[in-house]
Amino acid sequence: MRTLITRRYRNLIGALAALAVVSTLAACGDEGDSSTDATNTSTAGIAVSDVWARNSPMMATAGAAYMVIETSTDDALVGVAVDVSVAGKAEIHETVMSEMPAGSDMTMNSGMPMGTDMSTSGEMTMRPVDRLEIAAGTRVELMPGGYHVMLLDLAAPLELGSNFDIVLTFEKAGDVTVTAEVREEAP
Amino acid sequence: MALVGVVSLAACGGGSPGALKGIVRDDPLDVGSVAVTDVTDTGLYSGEDEQFSFRARPGHLLVVYFGYTNCPDLCPTTLAELRAARRELGSDAERVDLAMVTVDPERDTPEVLNGYLSSFTDRFNALRPVSEPELVAVEDAFLASSTIVKNADGTIEVGHSANAYVVDEQGLVVVEWPFGHGKDGMANDLEFLFDDMN
Repeated sequence: MRTLITRRYRNLIGALAALAVVSTLAACGDEGDSSTDATNTSTAGIAVSDVWARNSPMMATAGAAYMVIETSTDDALVGVAVDVSVAGKAEIHETVMSEMPAGSDMTMNSGMPMGTDMSTSGEMTMRPVDRLEIAAGTRVELMPGGYHVMLLDLAAPLELGSNFDIVLTFEKAGDVTVTAEVREEAP
Repeated sequence: MALVGVVSLAACGGGSPGALKGIVRDDPLDVGSVAVTDVTDTGLYSGEDEQFSFRARPGHLLVVYFGYTNCPDLCPTTLAELRAARRELGSDAERVDLAMVTVDPERDTPEVLNGYLSSFTDRFNALRPVSEPELVAVEDAFLASSTIVKNADGTIEVGHSANAYVVDEQGLVVVEWPFGHGKDGMANDLEFLFDDMN
């Protein structure tokens, strides 16, 4: 009896090990282990959800896309790309306060400055982000007023109800393609 | 009527806003005497400079915003929030007017500015300072500022105060909305102010 259980257990361990190897290999590419449904995508450890972009006002040449990224292993977003039929260029940017008003006690909460005595309104600006770290078990949200995928030289206005693909490049997980829904506000 | 500090009133049922959620200064900014070039295309714009004064029409509230049309994140977000907020006001939506001052008049021509704003509301004034001193004078009145940096590679970076300012008939800023105030916060404040005016 004892010998029989050990053999079955050994087979189970072998099967799990083989599965682990397959999962690890899949993480190096974007095939096999991915599942995509509308705005949610997961690829071996990376899970992207609620991908959306704001519908364009007339005359706008720039736009932005937002999303939530989670990962089970430490990783970093190092690049973004869209097809030229969407925009000429895509970059990761962060909206930041470039100058704090003097004499105020300000804290930032979800991009909203809270002050007790604001003398002047600080300027907000954007800066490019080369590498957006996403620690295992944390949730990084690209949202208005914070990190976002900036779309430059829009080929055409982003229309409500349409969608387009964004290729996210991660340091470890590699390329992950997500689909952004064009909406008036976050899902 | 000057609104000093945060006024807390018990809501007497019916869901009326009990207080302003935005920022209220003890000494409201007086912007009524500042003028800026108005390029709003109502079919009447003929290239001659009209001047706009920052005072709401009678019975109305004027929301003033500084921004630029190539803005990918802040400006469309705030203007979309205002659009959504107006939808929550029912008939009072017609009493909310928008005036946007472009901090990037070089790229924001009258045609571009009018087209951009028409995507958010049909009740707007497109304001386009024709000189640096004119822009600075308007910004100073609102204690706002902006910076344009032109990089060697041709890219342009624009920083600007991202608050929205609600101005009354007398030309006083009755409440300020920091970026992220949101459609519910805006609707709350506009309803509160209209209740106070009625």
